[in-house]
Amino acid sequence: MPHVELLPNSSSSAAPGWTYVVDTGYDPSKIAINPKNKKRAAAQPGGRRGESELSARQQTAIARRIVELQRDNDPKQSVPVPSHNSIPKTQNARRIIQYQRQIKHWLDDEEALLQQIITPRINPIGGRAIPQSLRRPTTNNSLPATPSEASPAPATLIAGGSAYNNDKPVEHDIYTPPMNSSISSVGPTELRALLSSPPLSYAASHAGPPPAHGPRQRHFCDNCGYWGSMRCLKCGTRVCGLECKDAHEATRCLKWA
Amino acid sequence: MPPKGRKGSAALPAKTLVLDNGAYTIKAGLIPTTSANPTIDDCSVIPNCVARSNRDRLTYVASELAECKDFGELAFRRPVEKGFIVNWEAEKAIWEHEFLGTAGEGLRCEPKETNLLLTEKPNCPKELQKNCDEIVFEQFEFAAYYRCVGPILNSYHPSEPSSLSSLPQECLLVIDTSYSDTTVLPIYSGQLIQLAVRRLEVGGKLMTNYLKELSSLRHYNMMEETYLLNEIKEAISFVSPSAHQFAKDLDRTWKGRLGDKRTLDPDIVVDYVLPDYEQSVHGYARPHDPAKLKMRRGLQPLQGPREDVLPLGNERFAVPELLFNPTDIGMQAAGLPGVIMESLAVLPEALKIGMLANIVVVGGNSLISGFMERLESELRVMVPSQYLLNVTRADDPIKHTWLGAARFASQSSLLKSVLVTKAEYDEKGATWLAKRFAGGEK
Repeated sequence: MPHVELLPNSSSSAAPGWTYVVDTGYDPSKIAINPKNKKRAAAQPGGRRGESELSARQQTAIARRIVELQRDNDPKQSVPVPSHNSIPKTQNARRIIQYQRQIKHWLDDEEALLQQIITPRINPIGGRAIPQSLRRPTTNNSLPATPSEASPAPATLIAGGSAYNNDKPVEHDIYTPPMNSSISSVGPTELRALLSSPPLSYAASHAGPPPAHGPRQRHFCDNCGYWGSMRCLKCGTRVCGLECKDAHEATRCLKWA
Repeated sequence: MPPKGRKGSAALPAKTLVLDNGAYTIKAGLIPTTSANPTIDDCSVIPNCVARSNRDRLTYVASELAECKDFGELAFRRPVEKGFIVNWEAEKAIWEHEFLGTAGEGLRCEPKETNLLLTEKPNCPKELQKNCDEIVFEQFEFAAYYRCVGPILNSYHPSEPSSLSSLPQECLLVIDTSYSDTTVLPIYSGQLIQLAVRRLEVGGKLMTNYLKELSSLRHYNMMEETYLLNEIKEAISFVSPSAHQFAKDLDRTWKGRLGDKRTLDPDIVVDYVLPDYEQSVHGYARPHDPAKLKMRRGLQPLQGPREDVLPLGNERFAVPELLFNPTDIGMQAAGLPGVIMESLAVLPEALKIGMLANIVVVGGNSLISGFMERLESELRVMVPSQYLLNVTRADDPIKHTWLGAARFASQSSLLKSVLVTKAEYDEKGATWLAKRFAGGEK
């Protein structure tokens, strides 16, 4: 009968139940995630929030409010459709007419489908889908990198477009400088690539974030809409003065939300 | 079974139902294929909703809304969400009520003897497009059908009124600022440059809801009064000429601090007299009168007939300001001029020049006073000064896209080249149809 003994070592085994681990002293995972002590929070690597940054609670509140403002139909009020209509003619039509889904479900579906196409990179249609999904990064990150406005169309775009058409790579040197040009100076290959590109997904066609160097975000009083020059001490919402602060605390303060 | 003629050889029905199926209103009209120039008068605007009031317990379908006398607490059901037809149960009821079948008056057609030209928003999820195609052919059984992004057809407007050319305009930048959102669409020779389409998620709906929220917070609870607040928004809102003027106007409408009260500027602040739905169905705005406000609060004895007024100060310009500064409500997006530049940044320089010289604004939000001036002045700053910038509002921004589609439909050769007949659909199926409309297969 051989004698089995577990020796403590630096690697932990994946056995269920229990395991030996080496005590290395400080363990970040054991530090409380939400320290009560603000001084300790400030000393953490991320540091305290900046003056203009929002807390997670405020961000959630803003996101929720925007969703609320953009909603088309109120799920609480269901308006029945008058029933004296013709009946669905086919099985397919019946299924479509009976859908009770909202737009967000369809958009989530679209996103999930795109993710599914992207993840396995070797995919019969993957070649088409990948440039589409990478559209955000291409426009947002590589556009500022292109030297100036006078440069030809973003090279990534041409490359992406020619991938659809299986054309030979576009020779960038042929491109004439645009300043004195008419539309005819846009290469036919480039134009074809632009026109034949497939539609973007709904999420990808969303407008980009405001420019970083642009004017600073304006803050308004939560109560009356004037400039929000002071902050509610309890929840950080902006108000314009004492009068509005009192009204805010009586109604909309997020402290207890 | 009809003969399966090859494309173009089969006889198509002689009239086309042109449908711009918006989230707020449907723009619809029947166009004979061989007609001369269609006009705005051929278009009827129909509310795209089923409304129900809990007060009189009546349901209004689409155009029946015109008969409504009490818009208080009217709840709406809109089949189109974010610009796409989502709820076919309601949409089918509305279409059947408005133009299908023989019963009833107004616009009527028999789908089996009619072509359908249906416009959609850009970047529609494919599943929804497929649903739409299947319903059109399997439920309504239209004889032939074409679906495309609506603003593309705006390039079939003649560039000069006198020109008779049927060719689309070469470079056209359409800004469609509608109920659901605002989209920027660069169009080259009648083809949409898909990679450059951008959407700002601020539209009429968001602004109405925002005004509703502000009024409910500051005055009365109006969260159920969507119709009324939309009416108020259309009546009183304006866009400040610049960010600088915005700050000035904000000062002029401020009540002041405790101990430092200011009088509100009557040039901007208005009182909106709310309808009571007994004597009046619609309200109206009049200059602000502080004395009346005191009477309402019971600080002074009431004089004259009883009325409810909603004072509107900075709401008048802070609400449409969202189109130019979405960050004001924390939405992380650039303003409309920034979105236009973002879209154009995708294009080659030469196309960009062409687009900037021919910008056309369509959609109901462009009717807000000051909108065009602000858009043009902010764009001018962003566009290099040697480039020509030409921003125009369509003559009738609401019906403009419909009119473009009607012009397209009245040219039988153009229409024939894109229509798909029911026989073709039955033979080749919905997937083929989706590809065909996306420009893939011929």
